[in-house]
Amino acid sequence: MEQRAGVEVAGIRRIFGEVIAVDHVDLAAPPGSVTALVGPNGSGKTTLLLVLATLLRPDSGTVWVANHDPVTDPQAVRALTGWMPDSFGTYDTLTAREVLEFAASAYRLRRDRGEQRARELLELIHLADYADLPVHVLSRGQKQRLGLARALVHNPTVLLLDEPAAGLDPRSRIELRGILRGLAADGRAVLVSSHVLAELETMADRVVFVDRGQTVSEQELADLPRSERRPWRMQALDPNSLVDALDRYGIEHADPDASGLEVLLSGDEAAAQLLARLVRDEVRVTTCAPVGSGLEDAYLAMTEDRR
Amino acid sequence: MTGDSPASVTDEATQSTGAAIGWWGVRTMAEHEFRLRLRAGRWRWLLAAWFVTLLLLTWGLRAALVATGAAERGVDMFGGLMLFMLALAMLVVPALTAQSINGDRERGVLATLQTTLLTPAEIAIGKLVAAWAPTLVFLAVSLPLIVWCLVEGGVSVGRVIGTLIATALLLGALAAIAQCLSAVFARSTTSAVMSYLVVFALSIGTLIAFFIGLMLTTETETVTERIPVWDNGQPQFNEETGQPINVDRWQTAEYEASVQQTEKVWWLLAPNPFAVLADSTSGTVEWERTGFDPLQTIREGVRSARDPDSGWSGVASTEKAVWPYGLAFYLLIGVGALTLTIRRLRTPYGVLPRGVRVA
Repeated sequence: MEQRAGVEVAGIRRIFGEVIAVDHVDLAAPPGSVTALVGPNGSGKTTLLLVLATLLRPDSGTVWVANHDPVTDPQAVRALTGWMPDSFGTYDTLTAREVLEFAASAYRLRRDRGEQRARELLELIHLADYADLPVHVLSRGQKQRLGLARALVHNPTVLLLDEPAAGLDPRSRIELRGILRGLAADGRAVLVSSHVLAELETMADRVVFVDRGQTVSEQELADLPRSERRPWRMQALDPNSLVDALDRYGIEHADPDASGLEVLLSGDEAAAQLLARLVRDEVRVTTCAPVGSGLEDAYLAMTEDRR
Repeated sequence: MTGDSPASVTDEATQSTGAAIGWWGVRTMAEHEFRLRLRAGRWRWLLAAWFVTLLLLTWGLRAALVATGAAERGVDMFGGLMLFMLALAMLVVPALTAQSINGDRERGVLATLQTTLLTPAEIAIGKLVAAWAPTLVFLAVSLPLIVWCLVEGGVSVGRVIGTLIATALLLGALAAIAQCLSAVFARSTTSAVMSYLVVFALSIGTLIAFFIGLMLTTETETVTERIPVWDNGQPQFNEETGQPINVDRWQTAEYEASVQQTEKVWWLLAPNPFAVLADSTSGTVEWERTGFDPLQTIREGVRSARDPDSGWSGVASTEKAVWPYGLAFYLLIGVGALTLTIRRLRTPYGVLPRGVRVA
């Protein structure tokens, strides 16, 4: 039973009329970790989350969310699950505090606990200053944060977040990462779908790729295969000295531009060796980082045949 | 985070999740919906406009009655006021209710509501209560005018209370129908139009159906009549019995007569909200009095349709009331509409209705 405390999905399928939204998805989002759900538009991510959030009945397959079956016992799943849809409305005439307090009552929290929860969450998402303003004055990003707080109001063990970073400014994204890592550290299962791969890479422990309604791969982020030869971006205080040095070593490189230049290196080992050599030769390097991310590479490899 | 461990998640109140409907849930939903309604509309202006319209009507009725020298003006004023108020309220109810469910879906707030611990029944009943309550406020605002009718005389307090209860029940059933349409149709404009069509069908459609039904059931009979003939042209009758006497011979004449059979189609009038209101609440008033009580007139009309032999004899012509059928119709339809609304809100969705997106 323990492994079902998070999300466990086996072979689910959901059809809308002629359209196969989810064909065959297997997925696990264990407690204590952030699982990224990655896939192109129309790959079935949102439909999958609707099934997990007790709104859609799968045509076949088994689903466990927080030790309960969302089809046969949706109420039990709802009590333990927080869901944030990709697009949602807010009650524009209510204040942020009222929105959260209503959500708390809807989850059958006592009034005083609801009020306390609303205060805590408004602090958490940095909207305490806006607590008593009507929601329609909030910006898109602020509403998005309020939506997250709403999903957290009943302190769920499983969190289902559909594109939570959409519309957030950089600071809010970093804070979102902190919040989600904190939730996972508390022992909750967090399942996040997103398109912002760089974002997910710093946030997620595990990644599930879906494409055309099917699970393509499911793995720990640390185990992602990295392609051997990939571009690295380098910068030096004096760009010419860097170009000269690379030419001397016979290393292939692109022409330098305002943000440095790119070289093709085969792996971390090669990069470390090159850096050591440059330092020895007194080239004053300021930046050396791989371009793109492992997640991006993997994503592009998974979805290559689409083009 | 907040320091709560996931183990403490289930709150004390979640224990009642097994129940399909609870007081807490209905109250939460109704309060929430009522607050949204309160903030969304310009209620003060609406209520003021409502009151002024009814005030003008009542005042006008009274002036007309004074001019015609009617005694006991209260009864006639009250009847006119209540019928007008019902008509006006029947225009307000669809506007308040016909976008209750699909409007929430269009605004993207329905799905997040359905994933809370509020059950479909609590959502539907809470929303219905919050839609019904404003119409009761509208009725309450008209109370001063009703008191005016009481002061004018002839109306009993009991009759006033009965009329208000009947009106409130009719409007509640209508709200349930409009809400059900908003759960059935994906687009809020469709359900709004359908709600007004329902109001039209109930108030005018039933009348049209009744008269069409009346024509279809009308039978022509051949009447054979014997006519007495006096050869000297001087008819003579028995002074006591009124029978013709000293008749020389009888002629027979045949003619076609059409016979309306309202007793076959009266039930088409039963769902008419004005018929229900009038028939359920007007009392027996002496026919000889001057004035014109619209409630009484409608009552006589529908009752004599059901029981044509009773005729227009003055006082309440027949005990065969029509309103129990009408009220039963509204209660059945109202409960049915609410049940269908609840079914439509039940998740997880198996087959999605056409044009409906979950979230």
